[in-house]
Amino acid sequence: MRVHVQEDVCQGHTLCHMAAPEVFALREEDGHAYVTVTEFTPELIEAAKRAAATCPEQAIVIED
Amino acid sequence: MAEKVVVEFDQHSKEYQARGMEIGAEIRSKCPVAWSENYGGYWIITGLEEASAIYKRPELFSALNLTWQDPDSMYKGIQIPNNAAYGENSFLEMDPPEQLQYRRALNSHLSPASVVRWEPFAREFTNACIDEIIENGEGDFVEDVVNIVPAVLTMAMIGFPMADWVIFCEPTHANVYTPANSPDRERVNQISMEMGMRTMTLIAEARATPRPGMLKDLIDAEIAGAPLSDARIAGQLGLVMGGGFDTTTALTSNVFRYLFENPSDKKRLLAMDEALWATATEEFLRFFSPSQGDARTAIEDCEVLGYQFKKGERVLPSFSISNRDPKFFENPDDLDIERFPNRHAAFGLGNHRCIGSNLARMNFRTMLQETLKRIPEYEIDLAGVERYETIGIINGNKTMPFTFPKGPKTGPGLQATIEKWQKILDDEAASAS
Repeated sequence: MRVHVQEDVCQGHTLCHMAAPEVFALREEDGHAYVTVTEFTPELIEAAKRAAATCPEQAIVIED
Repeated sequence: MAEKVVVEFDQHSKEYQARGMEIGAEIRSKCPVAWSENYGGYWIITGLEEASAIYKRPELFSALNLTWQDPDSMYKGIQIPNNAAYGENSFLEMDPPEQLQYRRALNSHLSPASVVRWEPFAREFTNACIDEIIENGEGDFVEDVVNIVPAVLTMAMIGFPMADWVIFCEPTHANVYTPANSPDRERVNQISMEMGMRTMTLIAEARATPRPGMLKDLIDAEIAGAPLSDARIAGQLGLVMGGGFDTTTALTSNVFRYLFENPSDKKRLLAMDEALWATATEEFLRFFSPSQGDARTAIEDCEVLGYQFKKGERVLPSFSISNRDPKFFENPDDLDIERFPNRHAAFGLGNHRCIGSNLARMNFRTMLQETLKRIPEYEIDLAGVERYETIGIINGNKTMPFTFPKGPKTGPGLQATIEKWQKILDDEAASAS
């Protein structure tokens, strides 16, 4: 399971961090998001999916 | 090739003020990319997918405004009809790569981490504003509270004297609520000019005596290898004030009215549960969309999602109407404070996503929470509420008279709080230099 934030699509809306702070952190300088998890449990996958659904730019990619 | 669908649409009309979202839904069901003949003609985009497609393509659809330099330029910026009120174009009316350099100069002030540091300031000033009216049992939520807090906060973040908020506040609001053809437009242009002159004086002072804040970072910036002129800096400050004052004021006043008319939601929010406030904030943003939409100019003939655009055509992808798109929001015209997911476009989309979004959320939440803590029961005089004459740019209110049970002051009031915080910021500045 791989989750990543497309850097050129993310614009720093921060909704992913609001929805799933356990998966997405925000860069200090501009609030753009990045993934902090490497081992995804079923709960973390669900959290990532919720965050992906609420991203206005649809910047989050989830792939097996 | 599809026929151009022509519709009756004017975001500055009384009809739009009364039933803009309904009109938007009607147009969207005809065609989410439709043509209005008003103001020289423009595409009105009412679907979220279509609006997003425009905003994500700055290489095809320019935000640039060059009319301050050349009134006949095809690059007419983000307002329809075009408004050159801020002087030299701000970075909201620029394209990459230049636009991104300006953002980088200001990002550190508006990041989530920075914004958190201003929360005590916002709470204290909200209480100070309430202290000015609490013993009377009446006041105006816009004029007495939510006009003031964002203005004082923005002054402080820029590095302007906070007491100057009175000079900048009215022209900044009047600029967006006064229609282009209004008899009041001349007066508004006049006070905007006076505000502009005050800005130039303060920029010159700041060059001589630097203080921390966004102004300092604009003075120190090198963009395209060169420092910014005073006029160019003034343009950026106009944006920061327009974005900083007006939008948060508009959102907070609309929500204050909503909670008066929907006491069950008010009751739920009074519990001050953080998670509920988080989803509610996003839903209020989606539903009220303080910023209605920013126009673009097609740079060349192009096709997007099967729609044809010609070079020079003006395009208005609507944030507010797209935020009611049933393809992306179930029961879109229902306000659901637990709505999730909520991928709204209230802060825009693409490279011009509102740089102040983190500050806006903090300021809105803080002003409303502090007000509700002091004044949980209130009545708004609905007949006395005056919405902006045009809500085509900002969906806001000029006035919102309200009454409430009299209560005690908790602090020394607005002037004393301004003096206190000016001293704190001045002392910080002195010890940092």
